[in-house]
Amino acid sequence: MRIELISLGHVYPTGDEALKGVDLVIEGTEPVAIIGQNGAGKTTLVKHFNGILRPTSGQVLINGEDINNRSTAQWSRDVGYVFQNPDDQIFLETIRKEFEFGPKQIGMPEEKIKEQMDFVSELCLLKDKLDLHPFDLTLTEKKFCTIGSIIMMDPKVIIFDEPTCGQDVEGNKRLKNIVKTLQDMGKLCITISHDMKFVVENFRHVIVMCKGKVLLDGDSKEVFSQVDKLKQSFVSPPPITRVAQKAGFKETVFNIDEFMREFDNRKEK
Amino acid sequence: MAKAYNSYVKRDTFKENISPNVKIWPIFSYGLSAIIFPNIYLGLGLIVFLFILAFFSKLFKGFTKIMLGFGIPITLMLIFIHGFYGSKNETILYDFGPVQLGLEGVLHALKIVSSLLVFLGTFYIMNHTTYTGKLVASLTASGVNPKVGYLVLASLNVVPQMQRKLSVIQEAQTARGVETKGSLWHRFKVFVPLLGPVVLSSLTDAQERGMTLETRGFGIKNVKQTHYVEVFYTKTDKIIKYMLIGFFIVTLIITILMRLSVI
Amino acid sequence: MREVVVKVEDLKFRYREGKKRALDGVSFEVFKGEFFCIIGANGSGKSTLCNALVGLVPYYFTGNKKGSVVIDGVDTDNSSIAELSQKIGLVFQNPFNQLSYTASNVAEELAYGLGNHGVPRDEMIKRVEYVAKLMRIDHILHKNPLELSGGQVQRVAFGSTFILEPNILVLDECTTQLDPLGSEEIFDIVKELNKTGITVIMVDHDMERVARCADRIMVLDKGKTVCIDTPDAIFSNPDIVNYNIEAPDYVSICKALKERGYYSGDYKITEEPTVEVVKEALVK
Repeated sequence: MRIELISLGHVYPTGDEALKGVDLVIEGTEPVAIIGQNGAGKTTLVKHFNGILRPTSGQVLINGEDINNRSTAQWSRDVGYVFQNPDDQIFLETIRKEFEFGPKQIGMPEEKIKEQMDFVSELCLLKDKLDLHPFDLTLTEKKFCTIGSIIMMDPKVIIFDEPTCGQDVEGNKRLKNIVKTLQDMGKLCITISHDMKFVVENFRHVIVMCKGKVLLDGDSKEVFSQVDKLKQSFVSPPPITRVAQKAGFKETVFNIDEFMREFDNRKEK
Repeated sequence: MAKAYNSYVKRDTFKENISPNVKIWPIFSYGLSAIIFPNIYLGLGLIVFLFILAFFSKLFKGFTKIMLGFGIPITLMLIFIHGFYGSKNETILYDFGPVQLGLEGVLHALKIVSSLLVFLGTFYIMNHTTYTGKLVASLTASGVNPKVGYLVLASLNVVPQMQRKLSVIQEAQTARGVETKGSLWHRFKVFVPLLGPVVLSSLTDAQERGMTLETRGFGIKNVKQTHYVEVFYTKTDKIIKYMLIGFFIVTLIITILMRLSVI
Repeated sequence: MREVVVKVEDLKFRYREGKKRALDGVSFEVFKGEFFCIIGANGSGKSTLCNALVGLVPYYFTGNKKGSVVIDGVDTDNSSIAELSQKIGLVFQNPFNQLSYTASNVAEELAYGLGNHGVPRDEMIKRVEYVAKLMRIDHILHKNPLELSGGQVQRVAFGSTFILEPNILVLDECTTQLDPLGSEEIFDIVKELNKTGITVIMVDHDMERVARCADRIMVLDKGKTVCIDTPDAIFSNPDIVNYNIEAPDYVSICKALKERGYYSGDYKITEEPTVEVVKEALVK
C-alpha cells in the first residue's frame, strides 16, 4: 500500500486550520507511529486516509487513486480506522456482533467471517468474552473490542488512534503482539501515540507533527536524535534515551541492551 | 463539533431583558386563555400578536418556519378528521359525495390548532430569548427545588447530546463499511438501528453524570444554592407578570359570562 | 504523630452483578499533606477504591460492602456523597461524563459545585478566575463545554473539582486525554497544591511519574493490598513484576551498571540521579 499526501490542507467549518500543507509518503508494511502534541493535527491527518475527512486543499492518493473517488464506506475495505474513544464506535449488544458487523457490511463470505472470528478473538484475547455485552467490559477491553472489529474486516491498512491510552503493562504487550502480527501478515499499521516507550519499542518509522505540519519523518533513531526539533514540538524521548542523551552518549539508544553497548563503547574510549 | 445547549442567541431585544422567571407566565396565561375561550378569535388574535412579538424579538424567520411547519400539516389533518367525521357536524360547508365537510368540525379543529400554536409560539419565543442557565437560576432563586431546576436543564440538553452522539457513531459506521448517503429509505434503514444503543448509552451516561453532580455537592442539605449567572427581578418584571395574570383572569371572566349567555 | 485523614480498614466490596469481589481486603492510612499513589494492573480494583473513598461505593455502585472508609473522621456510611464533597474531591477517568451538562459555558461549569455549596456570587467569580488561570483555561471561559477537545475537558473537569477546595484530592488516571506536556502541567499544579498541604491520592499507569511524585505507594492486586512502602523500596523490589508492574527504566539502568561492577549504590528511580550515576560510572 502506498499513501501519498500532496500539500494536504484541512480547515474545519469553524475556521480552525488543522493541517497546513502536509507532504508525506507512507509505503510498504513497516509500522508507522505518528507523534506530537494535542492539537498538532494527528487525528485530522489520519482521518484523511479513509476519507472520513476530505481535503480542503491538496490531495490524498491511496495507491495512486484520489481519495475523493470513493466514499468512506467503500474505502473501508482497504483502510480500517480504530477510533480513539471506544464508546464512539461500539453500538451492538455483543462483542461477537460487533466483530461481524463490518465484514457483513462489505459482503465478506460467511466462511471467511468465521475464520476471521477465530483469529481475531484469539489475537485480541477476547475469545471467552465474545458473547458478553460491551458494557460489561473494562475500558481497555472495549478498546481491544474496537481494534478487533476493524481487523475483522481484513483491510490492508489499519489506523490506531491512541491505542495505548489507559493501558497497563499487559495491555501494552497485547498491542505489541497485534502490531507485530499485522506486520507479518503484510498489513500497514499506522498508530498515533503519546507513549514514547511504546513507540520506540514497536515502530521504526516515526512521524512528528507540530502545528498542522510534519516536523520530522524518518527512522526512529534519527528522529529521536534531533533533540532541539523535538523540543519545538514538545515531544520528549523515552526515559532510557533521555538518560543516554544527558550522559553525553552519541548514539540514540532505546533499550537497556543498546544502552549498555553504547556505555561500553564510550568506556573504551 | 457539537450543537449549542439551547437555542438562545444574544440579540439585545426588549424581551431578553425581562427576567426569565416572568417569561414562563405567557405560556400559561396565553395558552390557557386560548383553550378556555369559547370561540377561536382570541386564539387567532394571540397568534397574530405572537407574530408581531417575534418580529420585534428578531425571530420572525425561524418563528414563521416553525409555526407554518407545524401548523399547516396539523390543521389539514385535524380538519380532515373533525371536518369529515366530527360527531357535531350539522351545517354542511361542501358536499364531496361520499363525505361532507361540516362547519362545526372545522371550527373545532381550528380551535385545537390555534391553542396548540399559541402554546408552541410562546414557548418558542421564550426559549429563544432566554438563556436556560438564567432561567433555572432564577427559578431556583425564587424557591423552586434545585432538583426540578436540574431536570429542566438536563431535559433541554438531552436532544443535542443525542444528536452529537448519533453523528459520531455514524461517522464510525461509515469507517466500517456503512454507506450513510443515498436514498431517504436507505438512510432511514441505517439510522434506525442506532437509536436504541444511543438512547441506552445516553442513559448510562446520565448515571455517570449523576455521580458527577453529587461529588460536586448536588443535593447537599441545609445549604441555599447560589448561582454564577446573575439573577434579577425588576419592577417592570413585576408589572408584566401581573399584567399576564390579569389577562388570564379577564379572559376567564369573559368566558364565564359568555357561557352564561350574559354577553 | 501525623494526622490521619483517610483510614480504610479491611474494605471488601462485591458489585451486585459481579462474581468476584472487586475489593477483597484493602487497608491503609493516608496522612495529612501526603502524596499517596495507588498502582496495580487494570482490574486490580483501583477505580473501585477511588469510588469508595468519595462515597460513590456503595451509594451509586450498589453491592455488598464490608469494612470501613473514614474520611477526615467521618465514616462514609454516615454521610451523603454531597456532604463528603466538602472534604474530598474526585477527578475521574472519563472527563466528558464529568461535565454537569447544566452549564452553557466553561465559567458556569467551573462554578457549578460552588453553587451547590452555597458560595456567594462575588466569591464564586473570584475563584473561577483564579482556577481558570491556574488550569490555563482562561481563554476558553466563554466556550460551550461540549465544544472542547478532550484535553480541554480534562482541564475543566479537574478545575471544577478542586475549585471546591477539598482537603483531599483523589485523581483516577485523570490525564489520559492529555499529551505528555499537558499532563506534566497538571501534575505540576497538583504538586504545588500538595505543597500547600492538600492531601493527594493518585492512581496512574505512568511509573516514572509515580516515582517522581509519591511519598508512599500502595500496590493493589486482585482487590487486595499487596504492600505499602516508599517509591524506592517498591521499585527496587524485583517481585513487583508479579503484579504486572514495571519499575521505571532508571532502575534497570542502575541494575545493569551494578551487574558490571560500575555502580554499588541504591537503585535510582528518577532521571537526574540516574544521569549522575551513569556519568560517574563512565569516568570510573
